[in-house]
Amino acid sequence: MSPFLLSVALVLMAGIAAGLIRVAIGPTPSDRMMAAQLMGTSGIGVILLLAPVLAVPALIDVALIFSLLAAVAVTAFTRRRITNDGD
Amino acid sequence: MNALLTVFDLLLTLTLLGLALVTVTSREPRRAVILFIAFGLLLALVWARLRAPDLALAEAAIGAGLSGALMLAAARRASGRRTSPAEGSDAEDAP
Amino acid sequence: MDAVQLLSGAFLLVGAFFFIAGTVGLIRLPDRFSRLHALTKADNVGLGFIVLGLMPLAPDLFYGLKLVLVWLLVVIAGATGAHLIAKRALRGDGEDVL
Repeated sequence: MSPFLLSVALVLMAGIAAGLIRVAIGPTPSDRMMAAQLMGTSGIGVILLLAPVLAVPALIDVALIFSLLAAVAVTAFTRRRITNDGD
Repeated sequence: MNALLTVFDLLLTLTLLGLALVTVTSREPRRAVILFIAFGLLLALVWARLRAPDLALAEAAIGAGLSGALMLAAARRASGRRTSPAEGSDAEDAP
Repeated sequence: MDAVQLLSGAFLLVGAFFFIAGTVGLIRLPDRFSRLHALTKADNVGLGFIVLGLMPLAPDLFYGLKLVLVWLLVVIAGATGAHLIAKRALRGDGEDVL
């Protein structure tokens, strides 16, 4: 089963590498943020698949942190700019 | 199994290097910050691959999450301070 | 290779397919809202099938619950992020207008 899990992780890794194109060329910052979000989700998938392959069950906590911080990054990104420089 | 793992490592390293290169050479601050967040995610993936879940936790939480959010706020303030229209934030991706 | 492993492998393949479709959509689709649509499909359904496929391989119950928790968090974060990005793109807050 382990080589199969690793090949699925390899496919997801190729997806991350392809998403890098959109992060690099994306015309607007929103596109970049979306691609970064997809990279994060694919990274969660890769980590979940690597945990049984490498026999390190603690990796699932890393996936939990990934999923928590994806929301933080997007929320920080979409906050409005303060127009008056009062603060 | 080992060959697959080698291919995986190679792909991960090449992606990381390419991302680092794009991050360092990007001129616009917010673009660099978003690329930095993606870089932190991939670096956490590298630590996970090296069987170091504690380092991966720290990298994902501090490197990608918190400092990414802080730097996004800083980049927004920095682009808000600019006065000349030539470098305003509307010219995001000026060549 | 029993039936459970076969089922798990099929779920993993479907999940990987959704991830590929989402990535291709993110690169190829023309405008921002279609790209957002492709992204959320890959997020929710793709990771859902991956988690479903990994569930029979979980060593104990707690691990399986953590897998479900990861998926739930990703779904919540994906929905919130998609709404925020779409609203911001619709309003055009002065920094993101095309």
